[in-house]
Amino acid sequence: MPAGRRGPAAQSARRPPPLLPLLLLCVLGAPRAGSGAHTAVISPQDPTLLIGSSLQATCSVHGDPPGATAEGLYWTLNGRRLPPELSRVLNTSTLALALANLNGSRQQSGDNLVCHARDGSILAGSCLYVGLPPEKPFNISCWSKNMKDLTCRWTPGAHGETFLHTNYSLKYKLRWYGQDNTCEEYHTVGPHSCHIPKDLALFTPYEIWVEATNRLGSARSDVLTLDILDVVTTDPPPDVHVSRVRGLEDQLSVRWVSPPALKDFLFQAKYQIRYRVEDSVDWKVVDDVSNQTSCRLAGLKPGTVYFVQVRCNPFGIYGSKKAGIWSEWSHPTAASTPRSERPGPGGGACEPRGGEPSSGPVRRELKQFLGWLKKHAYCSNLSFRLYDQWRAWMQKSHKTRNQDEGILPSGRRGTARGPAR
Amino acid sequence: MSRREGSLAPQADSSVSLLPPLEAKIRQTHSLAHFLTKYAEQLLQEYVQLQGDPFGLPSFSPPRLPVAGLSAPAPSHAGLPVHERLRLDAAALDALPPLLEAVRRRQAELNPRAPRLLRRLEDAARQARALGAAVEAVLAALGAANRGPRAEPPAAAAAASAASGVFPAKVLGLRVCGLYREWLSRTEGDLGQLLPGGPA
Repeated sequence: MPAGRRGPAAQSARRPPPLLPLLLLCVLGAPRAGSGAHTAVISPQDPTLLIGSSLQATCSVHGDPPGATAEGLYWTLNGRRLPPELSRVLNTSTLALALANLNGSRQQSGDNLVCHARDGSILAGSCLYVGLPPEKPFNISCWSKNMKDLTCRWTPGAHGETFLHTNYSLKYKLRWYGQDNTCEEYHTVGPHSCHIPKDLALFTPYEIWVEATNRLGSARSDVLTLDILDVVTTDPPPDVHVSRVRGLEDQLSVRWVSPPALKDFLFQAKYQIRYRVEDSVDWKVVDDVSNQTSCRLAGLKPGTVYFVQVRCNPFGIYGSKKAGIWSEWSHPTAASTPRSERPGPGGGACEPRGGEPSSGPVRRELKQFLGWLKKHAYCSNLSFRLYDQWRAWMQKSHKTRNQDEGILPSGRRGTARGPAR
Repeated sequence: MSRREGSLAPQADSSVSLLPPLEAKIRQTHSLAHFLTKYAEQLLQEYVQLQGDPFGLPSFSPPRLPVAGLSAPAPSHAGLPVHERLRLDAAALDALPPLLEAVRRRQAELNPRAPRLLRRLEDAARQARALGAAVEAVLAALGAANRGPRAEPPAAAAAASAASGVFPAKVLGLRVCGLYREWLSRTEGDLGQLLPGGPA
C-alpha cells in the first residue's frame, strides 16, 4: 500500500522532496533471507570492453534453502539465448560464460547480459559496454556572427562510431595568456557543434580544440588558431528590392541595404547576387558586385518571373586580410521583366562570368565617363537615365527595322508589306 | 473551488447528484487523468526501447521488485469506497515525482542522447504532481480529504539507484514507469465512477 502521504486538499505548500531519492531498492542479486527465493550475482558487473575482445563472466546463485544449484541456469544477451556450449558449470552454484570476439554494443545504455533460472525467471543482470576509444576529432571550422559570438563545428574521428557514448568538449583559450575555457552550448548547428555566445576578444588570436572522451579513452584534436575578425559573417542584406527598368524588357534593377549590424564596417564588403527563372532550379550567380548596394541584371528573358537573392561577405573588416565568410542568402524576391514580342536572349548578368561580350564592362566605363564629364565639362543633363532612354529607343528602332526587313528572305523583296507575290 | 462548494457527506456514493461546479471539476480531472494515461503509455514504450532487448520483448518478465513508498494498486482497491480509493490515488501520485526524477537522473547517464525520454520523465513527474493536486481538490470538495497528520516518508533510502548496477537500474526504471501508468489508469477509473452517467 502506498505510504500514507495524505493531507488536506487545500494544503498550500508541499514539502519539497528529500534530497536523496526515496528508493529502497531490493537490488537484483541481494539474497532475501527466509523468502524461499533464489537470486544471483553476475560478475563482472557492467564491464567495458574493446570490440573484438573476450569476456569471462560468472553467475553465482544464492538462495534459501542454501545449496541452490547452477544446473538448469542459462544466459541471454540482449534477449537472445546464448548457445549452451558457451557456458559451463564451475561448481554447484556457479555458471560460467565465455564470449569471444565481441561486437560493438547494440545500444548506448549497454548490452543486457542476463542469468536465468531453469524456469526462465531472471536471477541477475549485467550491462556490457563494448566499443572503441574515440579517435581524434578533426576539421574544426568556426565563424563569428557580427563579431559578437563564435560557433564552431567539427568532424568526429572515425566518423563518430565508437558504439559507446562519447562526449565531445570544445575548449578555447587566448593564445598567449588566459585559462582554458569550455564551450557550453552544444548541438546548435548539428550534432558536433558548439556556440560561444559572448565575452570574446578581438585583435588577439584564440586557440580552439576538441576533446573526445568515452569509457575506453580520450582523444584531442589539433589546435586551431584564429582571430575572430578573420572569420566574421553577417546577416543577409535586408530590404532587397527588384524592379523593372523603364523601357527595357531584358533588365531588372536590384537594390538592397547593407546588413545593419555591420553597416559601419562594410566599406570593403562584397556582395553576390543569384537569380533564377521562376520554374527553374538553376541559379545564375553574379560574382563580385563589390561594395555597391545595387546592381542591374541584363540579358534577361522578357515576360519572365525571376527570383533574386543577395548575400554579403564582410571582407576586410577591421583590416582583416582573410577571405571572410558569406552570409546566408536573403529571402527570395520576385519580379518579372516586361513582355516583348521580340524573342529574348537566354539570359545574362550584370557582371557575367568569363569573357562573354556583354554590356557590363561597357556600362562601367560609361558610368565613369559620365562621372568625369559632369565634373569637367558642362554636361549637367548627362546621366545613366539618358543612356537607358537611348538604349530603349535603339531597341524600338531595331524592332521596327526588323519588321520592315524581316519578311524579306535572303533575296530582295522591297519594302512592301503583305504576302509575297 | 472552496470546500463548501459541492460538499457531500463522506459516505456519499456516486449516485448522489453533484453540484455543477463540482461535476465540472471532476470531469476536468478525469479528462486529465485520461490524457496522462496515454502519455504514460508512450513514456513506457520509449523507455523500453532505449534500454534494449529484452526490455521491449513481450516475454520479458523481470521480478516485480518493491519500491519504497509506492506499490501497485492492491487487488482489493476496486472494492473500497470511492473516496478511499481516491485518497490512495492521491497518495500514489504524490509519491511518484521523486521516483520519476530518480529514474530521469539515472537515464541521463545511461541514455544522454535521448532528450525526448528525459523530457518525458521530467514531464511525467510534473504531471503526476498536478494530477495529485487535482484529485486532492476533488476530495476536499467532497469533504473527504484526510485531515490527519502527513505520514513521514520512509527513512534513509540513500541513493540506491546510483549505487546499484546498470541492469537493476534499468529494471527499477521500468518498474517506476509501470507504476506511473498503473496509478494513472486507476485514478482515471476511480474518477469516472464519480461522474453521473459515467465518463463523458
